[in-house]
Amino acid sequence: LPPAMEPIPAKPLFYDLALNFVEFPDLTEKLEGGQPKQKGAGISGFVKGLWGWGKK
Amino acid sequence: MSEKAERDKKAITSYYSELNRFGQNGEYERAIKAANKILNLAPHEFLAFQYKVICLIELSKFDEAIRLLNGNAQFDNQLTFEKAYCLYRANKHDESLKIVDQIEDLDLRSKELKAQILYRLERYEEAAALYRDIVKNTDDDYEDERHTNLSAVMVYLDNEQTKDRIE
Repeated sequence: LPPAMEPIPAKPLFYDLALNFVEFPDLTEKLEGGQPKQKGAGISGFVKGLWGWGKK
Repeated sequence: MSEKAERDKKAITSYYSELNRFGQNGEYERAIKAANKILNLAPHEFLAFQYKVICLIELSKFDEAIRLLNGNAQFDNQLTFEKAYCLYRANKHDESLKIVDQIEDLDLRSKELKAQILYRLERYEEAAALYRDIVKNTDDDYEDERHTNLSAVMVYLDNEQTKDRIE
């Protein structure tokens, strides 16, 4: 027969929520061209994609 | 001279793109190296410095982050939350609280940190009051965890009150 259950003290759960608010700063202003360049790459990628699709 | 400045500027831009990529990919050691390259060329680049501090936090190198912040007084007062967080994780709760208390207009993240510090300092009444304030004034994905933390605070508040009654 197992011994009777009895409650034992337990440390309550406690989350480190502040860690979630440690975030990297936005570097966009330091990167070359910033957003406009990304847009260009997106369009050429799309066109290249179309050519590739045509060849297949 | 101006040619060198031009070259440095280009190098810094390319190091920033490395920094950005490594940071986003979670490659913090390599990100720190990229940040160091920027800071060697331009010691006043705040964003590179801030990035480096946060990488050290992600790597749990809190003592090193504290040393870095202490050694750079020109950036130090712009990263009070980060510094207080490092001190909190290094178990220097009193020092951490002192810094948080210097912040004017506590924002949410600083309140969250302050509540955690108060909990570690066993100042449960204050922690509970602060958590109630935070819960009332936020609407994010951490509601459940925040209630869990408030419950933990309440456990100790309850214990203290019970003890008072017994004594």
